[in-house]
Amino acid sequence: MAEIEPTLLEIIKEHAVGLAGDPTRETPIADLGIDSFSIVEIIYEVEEKLSVEVPFNANENPFGEMKTVGDLIDALNALIKK
Amino acid sequence: MSRNVVVTGMGAVTPIGSDVKAYWQGLAAGKCGIVKREYTAADKYAMTAATAPIDDVEERLKVLPRGDRFSQLAVVAADEAVKQAGLEVDEALAPRAACIIGTGIGGQSTFDKSYIGLLCNGRRPHPLSILKIIPNAPASHLSIRHGLRGPAFAISSACASGAHAIGVCADLIRNGSADVGLAGASEAILTYGALEAWTAMHILADETCRPFSKNRNGLVIGEGAGILVLEEENHARERGAEILARIAGFGMNADGKDMINPSAEGAAGAMNAALEGVKFSDPRSVYINAHGTGTLMNDPTETRAVRSVFGTGADDLIISSTKSMHGHLLGAAGGIESIAAILALRAGVAPPTVNYDEPDPACDLNYAPNEAIERTFDLAISNSFAFGGLNAVVAFTKA
Repeated sequence: MAEIEPTLLEIIKEHAVGLAGDPTRETPIADLGIDSFSIVEIIYEVEEKLSVEVPFNANENPFGEMKTVGDLIDALNALIKK
Repeated sequence: MSRNVVVTGMGAVTPIGSDVKAYWQGLAAGKCGIVKREYTAADKYAMTAATAPIDDVEERLKVLPRGDRFSQLAVVAADEAVKQAGLEVDEALAPRAACIIGTGIGGQSTFDKSYIGLLCNGRRPHPLSILKIIPNAPASHLSIRHGLRGPAFAISSACASGAHAIGVCADLIRNGSADVGLAGASEAILTYGALEAWTAMHILADETCRPFSKNRNGLVIGEGAGILVLEEENHARERGAEILARIAGFGMNADGKDMINPSAEGAAGAMNAALEGVKFSDPRSVYINAHGTGTLMNDPTETRAVRSVFGTGADDLIISSTKSMHGHLLGAAGGIESIAAILALRAGVAPPTVNYDEPDPACDLNYAPNEAIERTFDLAISNSFAFGGLNAVVAFTKA
């Protein structure tokens, strides 16, 4: 899990249009300035860059309760392992 | 319920000017935005076509980074229109604010990119491809961007989409379903794939667009967007908005005959419907922004339709095709051409039909050949007649 975290952070950073610096695990998701479009794009890029398939349904919004980037990374990792 | 509808804002992104001011300067000066350009795909396909592209808006399109070009153009045009109108949509107005945006095709460049990636490079499409391609994308983006929560949808009637959108939005306001609305259209299909399809139809001009001229040989495809802010008259007056023009009438019908060939009866029927109850002092005070595609069939057919509607008065009015300058924006044509009609009405100047070389006995009206004509107008009409025989005509008078 640890080795893919920098890649995930890098992908999240590319979409964090509302964030001035680099995101960390502690960065609140609310500070990223991302929307439903971004989540779909992030999933796509995770799949492309890591050559994995993420079993994600855009209508289920499994990221709805997340608060920090760390939560997002954990959720992505959990999906990738499915 | 029948209420008056006025125009309080205009926004245009066109091949001869990327805002309303530049557009009008181009129109009045007879600026032609048609160029021969090479279009390529996947580094292995190429074709050259006369087109009317927009080259000076790339930075401004970044305002909508995840939209197809046709949505981006719509947003840029709509922002200009909303700014001019000084329109602020609050919680009370939002459910009464419509957003009717037409397009003939939709997200063509995303469509092309997806197929090229998939078929040539084995790349699966981007997950937002569908949201970029759908024809209602501009209506949805503008609804979100400007907080318009009333009636919102796309209208697709090929080359009449923009005129239908303006007319239908005006009717929604007239009938009490909305108090304000963004109405117009956007189109951006200058891609290799689309141009090959248009070429296959054998309807594109070789060099340039020459409406009503005997040596015309086809249309030239352009891109852009034209958006109006429409408003119920009292609503506009109460908030102190400048009224740019009045929507005096709207007519629409279908030829019910042929997918390609136009019908003078159908076109005349739509014009008559738009002019029902519209008063004007003299045919000399009428300006018509023609559909005027520059195809062999459209121009004489439209000429016959105008003669049928105005009788001998047709010899006194001015009818010009601004497509000779900005090309045929397909779905967006009615958007930017309605703006041309309103600007002509307000300025007292009929923009010219440029590239007019040679009179055609079958096209025998005053087309303002090659140079603008100064004249006071009471009435301006925008004609749009689509492939598939769908006609829409909007009539504007002064406030």
